[in-house]
Amino acid sequence: MGDRLERLAVSSARIPFRLKVALVWVVIFAFLGFFFWVAKFDTDWMLDNFTFIAKGLQYTIYIALGGIAIAIVLALLGALARISSNPIAFGISGFYISFFRGTPLIVQMFLIYLALPQIGTNLHVQYPELFSRQFEDSLVLDPAVAGTLALGLNYGAYMTEIFRAGIQSVAAGQGEAADALGMTYRQKMRRVVLPQAFRVIIPPTGNEFIAMMKDTALVSFLGVSIQHAEVFRRAGLVGKADFKNLEALVLAAALYWGLTIIFTFFQRRLETRVSRGYVRTEPLRTAELPSEELSDLPPHGKGGGG
Amino acid sequence: MRKSSAVLSALAVIVLGIAGCGSDDSSSGGQAASGTVCADTNASGDLLADICDAGEIRVSTDPAYPPQSSLNKDTGDYEGFDIDVATEIADRLGVDISWETPSWDVLTAGSWNGRWDMSVGSMTPTNDRQKVLDFTQPYYYTPAVVVVNEANTSVQDLTTDLDGASIGVCSACTYEQFLNKDLDIKGYSFDYVIDDADVHGYDTDTTALQDLALGDGTRLDAVITSLTTAQGFIDSGKPVKIVGDPVFYEPLSAAFDKSSPMDDTSLVDAVDGIVGDMHQDGTLTELSKKWYDGTDLTVQQ
Repeated sequence: MGDRLERLAVSSARIPFRLKVALVWVVIFAFLGFFFWVAKFDTDWMLDNFTFIAKGLQYTIYIALGGIAIAIVLALLGALARISSNPIAFGISGFYISFFRGTPLIVQMFLIYLALPQIGTNLHVQYPELFSRQFEDSLVLDPAVAGTLALGLNYGAYMTEIFRAGIQSVAAGQGEAADALGMTYRQKMRRVVLPQAFRVIIPPTGNEFIAMMKDTALVSFLGVSIQHAEVFRRAGLVGKADFKNLEALVLAAALYWGLTIIFTFFQRRLETRVSRGYVRTEPLRTAELPSEELSDLPPHGKGGGG
Repeated sequence: MRKSSAVLSALAVIVLGIAGCGSDDSSSGGQAASGTVCADTNASGDLLADICDAGEIRVSTDPAYPPQSSLNKDTGDYEGFDIDVATEIADRLGVDISWETPSWDVLTAGSWNGRWDMSVGSMTPTNDRQKVLDFTQPYYYTPAVVVVNEANTSVQDLTTDLDGASIGVCSACTYEQFLNKDLDIKGYSFDYVIDDADVHGYDTDTTALQDLALGDGTRLDAVITSLTTAQGFIDSGKPVKIVGDPVFYEPLSAAFDKSSPMDDTSLVDAVDGIVGDMHQDGTLTELSKKWYDGTDLTVQQ
C-alpha cells in the first residue's frame, strides 16, 4: 500500500502541488453540492430571502469591529498590568481575566443587558442625590451595544494573555538596551518592545476577530430590533415565520463563511506586512543588478534591529 | 499620545454609531384626539400620563409568528392579529405606536427597565408570570392541539393513546406546563388528559414540529402547539397532521411590567377597559376573522 502511494507520488510529481490541492477542493465541493441536493432545500425560498438576510452583514461587521476595538484596548492595558510590578494593576487584571474567561459569553451579555439597568434603578432609588435619573437611563443599554460590550470584554480577557505572551517574547536584551539609552517606560514600550511584540500578536488576534464575527450571533438572544438585526437574527426571523429554519441557517452559514474568507485574506496581508523585517531574501550579488533596481531593495532587518 | 486618543475616538464613534441605531423609527406624537383615553384622563406622574405626554406607546412584538405577527419584507412593516390589536389599543388611547422586538425570555421575565411599555404578544397570564407582570383580560383564546406524523395511525383517543409518549413542546411555555400538569392560571381549570408524557423541550415550537416531520416516532411521537402554528406548518407542505379536538384553550392577554419605574395601574386599567370595549363592539371578532380564516377565537370555549 505504502509502496503504491509512493509510486503515485513520484509519477505525479510533475503536477504542481497547488493544482492537486485545488482538485481536492473540487471533490469536497462536489460532495457538499450532492448533500445540498439530497437535503432537498427550498432553493427558491433561499433566493427570495438572500438579500433580506444578507442585509444583516452590515450590523454583524459593526458589532464585530466594535467588539475587537474594545478588546484590543483592554488586552493591551491588561497585558501591561499583567507584567507590571504594581499590585493594584496586577490584581485588577488578574480578576478581569479570571472572571471574563471563566463565565460564558452569553451570561455576560445578559448581565450587561439586564443587570446593569437594575443596578442603576436601585442606586437612583436609594441615593437620588448621588445618582440622577440620567445616570439610571444611561445604564439601560441597547441590545447591540450591550452585546458589543460583552464581546469586547470577553475577547479582551482572552487576548490579554496573547498580548502578554507577545510582549514577553521580545528578547529581554531589547528592553535592557532601551533602558541603557535612558528611555522612559513609555518610550521603551512604544518604540522598542511593542513594535516587535505585534509581529507575534497579530496572527492570533486575527484569529480571535474571526471567531468573534461568528459570536456576534449571540446578540440575537437579547432581541435586537429588526431594522438593525445582524445575520443570525434575520435568518431566525424569516426561517421561523416561513417554517424554513434549515434553509435560513444554511444561508447564514454561507454568509459567515464568506466573511471569514474575506477577512482571512486581509489577515494574511497584515501578517506579511508586520513580519517583513524577518523574511529571508536570497542574497543578491550587486554586480548582477542594474543600478535602478538596487535602490528598490527592501531594507534588511528593520524590525529585528534594536 | 496622539495615536492612542485617535484609537479611542474611533472606538467611541463605532459604539455611538451602534447606539444611534437603537430606537425604532416612529412618527411624532400629536395632540390627543377627543374621545380617547389620553384626552379624558387626569392621570399625572404615572406611566399613562408619561405615554400621553410622549404621544407614543412602545409595544413589544416577535415578528416570527404569523399570523399573529410577522414582518412584511417588501414594505418593512409588521402585520398580523397582534399588530392590529395593539394598533387599535394605541388608537383608542390616542397615541402613536412604535415597536420593540425583545426575545421571549427577556419579555416573560419582567423587569423591562422602561425599554418598552406594553406587550400585545399572545401571552398567557399564568400565575408565575402574574408575579412579575400585570395582565389585562384576555383578548383571545388559542386552541392547543396535538400534532402527529402523517404516517401515524396509533393515536386515536387523546385521553389514552398518548400516555407515556415522547411529546415535543416549546420549553417553559404553557404546553410544557400542561404536560407537567402544572398549568396554573387564576380563574381557569384544565383537564390534564395526557399522563406520564416524556416531555422534550425545544427553543421554539417550529423546531419541535420539524423533528416530528422526520418520521413517526423517529425522535417524537407527537407535538403540542397552537392550532395556528400547526396549521401554518401543515400548509407549508410538511408531513404532519392534527388529531382530535383541541386539548385546551389558553387565554391570551396584553401584559405590563410590574416593576416598571413608573406606576402602571392606570394604564393597565385603561387598556383593560379598551379590550373589554373591543370585545363588546365586535372589533376583536372582526380582526380574528380577518387573520384566522373566518374563525372567531375571541370567545372562551
